[in-house]
Amino acid sequence: MGETVLDIQNIESFYGPIMAIRGVSLKVEQGQVVTVLGANGAGKSTLLKTISGIMDPEKGQILFEGREIQGMEPHKVVGRGIVHVPEGREVFPLLTVEENLTLGAYTRSDKAEIEKDRQMVFDYFPILAERRHQEAGTLSGGQQQMLAIGRGLMLRPKIMLLDEPSLGLSPLLVQEIFAILKRLNKEEGVTMMLVEQNARVALELADMGYVMEVGRIVMDDTSERLMESEDIKAFYLGHQEDGARGERRWKRKKTWR
Amino acid sequence: MNSHTRPTPAKQIEINGVIVSAVPGQKPALVDGCDTIVSLFQKRCEQLAARTAHREKDLGIWQSYSWQDYWTHAKWLGLGLRALGLARGEVVSILSEDRKEWLYADMGIQCVGGIASGVYTTDSASQLEYLLRDSGSRFLFVENDEQLDKFLEIEDQASRVEKVIILDQDGLHDLRHEKCVFLDDLYETGRAYEAENHGVFEAEIAKTRPEDTALLIYTSGTTGMPKGAMLSQENVISACVSGAHALPTQDHDEQLCFLPLCHILERNVSVYFPIAGKATVNFAESPETVFDNLREVSPAHFTAVPRVWEKVYSRVRVLAQEATPIGRLCFNLAIKTGLKRADYLLARKPVPLGVRAHYAVWDMLVLRNLRRMLGMDKMRRGGTGAAPISPELIRWYWAIGVQLLEGYGMTENAGLASINLPNDNKIGSVGRPCPGVGTRIADDGEIQTLGLNNFQGYWRNNEKTAETFTEDGWLRTGDVGKLDDDGFLTITGRLKDIIITAGGKNITPAEIESRLKFSHYISDAVVIGDARKYLTCLIMIDQENVEKYAQDRKVPFSDFASLCASQEVVDLIKGEVEEVNHAFARVEQIKDFRLINVLLTAEDEELTATMKLKRSFVEKKHAGLIEEMY
Repeated sequence: MGETVLDIQNIESFYGPIMAIRGVSLKVEQGQVVTVLGANGAGKSTLLKTISGIMDPEKGQILFEGREIQGMEPHKVVGRGIVHVPEGREVFPLLTVEENLTLGAYTRSDKAEIEKDRQMVFDYFPILAERRHQEAGTLSGGQQQMLAIGRGLMLRPKIMLLDEPSLGLSPLLVQEIFAILKRLNKEEGVTMMLVEQNARVALELADMGYVMEVGRIVMDDTSERLMESEDIKAFYLGHQEDGARGERRWKRKKTWR
Repeated sequence: MNSHTRPTPAKQIEINGVIVSAVPGQKPALVDGCDTIVSLFQKRCEQLAARTAHREKDLGIWQSYSWQDYWTHAKWLGLGLRALGLARGEVVSILSEDRKEWLYADMGIQCVGGIASGVYTTDSASQLEYLLRDSGSRFLFVENDEQLDKFLEIEDQASRVEKVIILDQDGLHDLRHEKCVFLDDLYETGRAYEAENHGVFEAEIAKTRPEDTALLIYTSGTTGMPKGAMLSQENVISACVSGAHALPTQDHDEQLCFLPLCHILERNVSVYFPIAGKATVNFAESPETVFDNLREVSPAHFTAVPRVWEKVYSRVRVLAQEATPIGRLCFNLAIKTGLKRADYLLARKPVPLGVRAHYAVWDMLVLRNLRRMLGMDKMRRGGTGAAPISPELIRWYWAIGVQLLEGYGMTENAGLASINLPNDNKIGSVGRPCPGVGTRIADDGEIQTLGLNNFQGYWRNNEKTAETFTEDGWLRTGDVGKLDDDGFLTITGRLKDIIITAGGKNITPAEIESRLKFSHYISDAVVIGDARKYLTCLIMIDQENVEKYAQDRKVPFSDFASLCASQEVVDLIKGEVEEVNHAFARVEQIKDFRLINVLLTAEDEELTATMKLKRSFVEKKHAGLIEEMY
């Protein structure tokens, strides 16, 4: 840890006339897991799309290993070692598990190393090894998510951008996948930027957290400290403050401190 | 005592169809022959019956409520309280955001001889407990479940409270609590009482005398606990008389109500003046939607605090910056012409034909649309008060064709002491003393007022009351100011805030603070330096404008604290501080400053409900930052 891999400075992104990201700055250091929390429409996915080149920012800079990458074509961003695991998995449904993984390594040519990485993916996700010849579309949601992560790993990325890996999965599967992500980070040293609505698992995994609301960062701190914050507890971890009546419909006002 | 103006005697005149005392300040204060606000209320409801008194949004659609509704509901509410045992001269507290029921309660309580006392919705449970105990309230109105929970939290300490009346039932259908009733039940009680005791309500109104206490308004109190200022029926009526002279309302005028009704400013403007002037009051849905509601309502006059005027201006500025180059050019030219015209108007000089023609063109092309977009196209006048406003900002509003006028008043003189008039305006001053308000400057510079609007005293606090009046019965406002040769009043600061530096120099911090506040990037400031070698300052930045500044200059920041910590922002504020320093002598200059890096909300004790920093709390809470500077 220590060296800054990804340095985002004052990014502004638009969907047509609508400003989805209003000046966001954040940093990811080598070997870190950084999570971005926020409700629907906060601009989290847009942020990832802006990093991976699917969207171009109107303003601001994205420095990856000290070089500007904002506005670059997505395939060139991938070439730099940034992998985007999209929301909703987006595996190729008619290709087999193995073919999906092979596509993940599309830009690489070192056959032996690719094979080693494929083995690593199978070690982390044994179920994928079992289903290697099955069409990806016939996998369960959790398995598809594993495949999407596995496909990302096949690039041997310098940073993985994960867009809501917990989406639509059972709590048990979420635990399982996050446990694997943790191992990947610890054992393989994969740097991750994780966008999540499931704040509890995200904060347990991450070193640092940023909270986004309507396109802006309202709070950032280490995960431990965020978990202690009254606002995070009330709005993201679902702690209920019981009023004098025992049932309470209204929520405290957010102060983000 | 170096200068003063005194009211002179006279009779009744008609202003916009309302007959008021021709020379305010003389007993009896009368509006359409009524010497109490409750009898005037009765008269208006009878007169205007089916006409719209209020409008409020229900599920996003404006609904109208007539003067008849106003009357019946106030009556049921008042009689309901009477049935529950409310005696004349007792205080009833109201804890709610602005809504028509607030007014029903205010008038209902007063009509049966009670005293209405508002509680800010941003107050904490313990503050509520203090206010209930101090006022001796046996009845409390709460808006909804959120406000109810505050009461339930302190229920044991507030055992004097007998009934809590809930305005909004949402989420409370399962509530079983012996002290809680819903407003509809209270109406029912009142209606039944009325059936058995017909005419009691009218009889109670007739019993009300001008000297009866009508309201209790707790002053925010930057030091010590809040004190309840007692305003009598006569105080309220005399404020209406002064209002009719200085801020005339026309029949059928539309208004927007959005500032807290606990504050004398909004209370006058949205409750009593409309009763006197027959205006229609529209309630904003929430503080967040004020600007949208403003556009929908397009009021005839709009009174707000400087913060709101500043916000509108900032929005326009941002929009203009993001416009096309041609749009921007047109906008700038229009403003330039507008300013030229404004300077003639403000100097009370005739506008030359050329300027007038120019203005007419730009008005048609740009300014008219701008006003329509802001909801100011029908606005005859805008008002600002409760805090100092930047002269530049006033000029800008005049330039776009909105006559923004600064006034001055405080709870203790029923909210209206002096005001600028559209054709008699001196920017930077708070205007000439209102008709009927005697004003003088004491030897120590304190502004003192005399008139029928001077309050009765503080509730159960004779000691403080005695301190507030001079021996000859004038009100000590606690504000320091000057009266110029033309009779315009200027406020320079608060008497008790005067700082004496270690060097022995007396300094009025408010003078420096208001200058700082005039910057778009500074929302409030507190100057420190009592018994210190030099002056320093704690500054609260304006989030929106500083964020915009940082973004435009590619200054990276994440949250508010990091924004305050960035060197560029510190430099920006430093520049603003230095700019202000130029206007002051050496000893009065700010040598160092710190930014308050937490985003304060109205719930924080450092801020008053009108979002002003409270010196004593700020000094205590940020003692660490202050020490750093010495």
